[in-house]
Amino acid sequence: MSCGNPHTRDCSEILANLYLFLDNEADAASCAEIRQHLVECAPCLATYDLDRLVKDLVARSCCELAPTPLRQRVVTYIRGVQITFTHVEQG
Amino acid sequence: MLVTASLRAWLPWDTAATQAVGGREVGARRPPPVGSAPMTDSGEQTTTTDSGVVPETGEQRAERFERDALPFLDQLYSAGMRMTRNPADAEDLVQETYAKAFNAFHQFRPGTNLKAWLYRILTNTYINSYRKKQRQPAQQMTEEIEDWQLAAAEAHTSSGLKSAEVEALEHLPDSDVKAALASLSEDFRLAVYLADVEGFPYKDIAEIMGTPIGTVMSRLHRGRRQLRELLSDYARDRGMAASGAGER
Repeated sequence: MSCGNPHTRDCSEILANLYLFLDNEADAASCAEIRQHLVECAPCLATYDLDRLVKDLVARSCCELAPTPLRQRVVTYIRGVQITFTHVEQG
Repeated sequence: MLVTASLRAWLPWDTAATQAVGGREVGARRPPPVGSAPMTDSGEQTTTTDSGVVPETGEQRAERFERDALPFLDQLYSAGMRMTRNPADAEDLVQETYAKAFNAFHQFRPGTNLKAWLYRILTNTYINSYRKKQRQPAQQMTEEIEDWQLAAAEAHTSSGLKSAEVEALEHLPDSDVKAALASLSEDFRLAVYLADVEGFPYKDIAEIMGTPIGTVMSRLHRGRRQLRELLSDYARDRGMAASGAGER
């Protein structure tokens, strides 16, 4: 679907590549085309803004701290095996 | 407990594999443990002790592991939470992941992507140990690569969010975003998480998930579309609630 305005690339092509653009996976030429299109096309820009926002929301919302007991267990495990190593090497 | 049992199951041979014999690895021909495949494209040997460099003792390796791998604990726990969707399983999963990674650390090639390597072990551990135990039916994806390419003949966003709703979206509480993510199917959820939270390139996500890049793109595309709809719904509800309340 197109917004009705003339563009070098049709809106549908731009929209199909928006995620590549958002994820820095598009090549330089494609990035330039998409940027230019977003300047010209308000509906595509609105879609881009929404996708960008959703991506940022996910990035913002999902960071958690590991519980302290878990951290302690992992450290204990690493150091425990380390003691085993030392023992084996000396024996 | 689940972790303890599974650790015991593989600890004996792996401890033997990492015993130092004159400082050199033994058991190098043993099949590599889960997640030990190199994360780069070159076909070099993964053994690092044969290069003329002074071999590392087990103790030194343990110190290096603690220094380099432990800083990813919070991130791996967050990922584990997204995978298992409950703290107890996430803790078990991450603990098992660290134990496996530690015991396979002699196979990790310094200079390659440690974070991606750890995530790969996490993902494999989850798939092999936990997914089977979880009650929900296996969420097998039937996606085809063509699917999103066909769907790519798509329209502008139909959501038509009003500015108040966009603002509500921006201010959605973390709990809403987590809930929306949790409702996605597992493969979509993990792909979105790896891309958006961890910022992994598609190539790394493909290696972590053990799928072709096209499948990663398909999962991201479909997962994000679903997420966009879900979050827009939440935002609409909250936007309406806000305007219904009159003032803030």
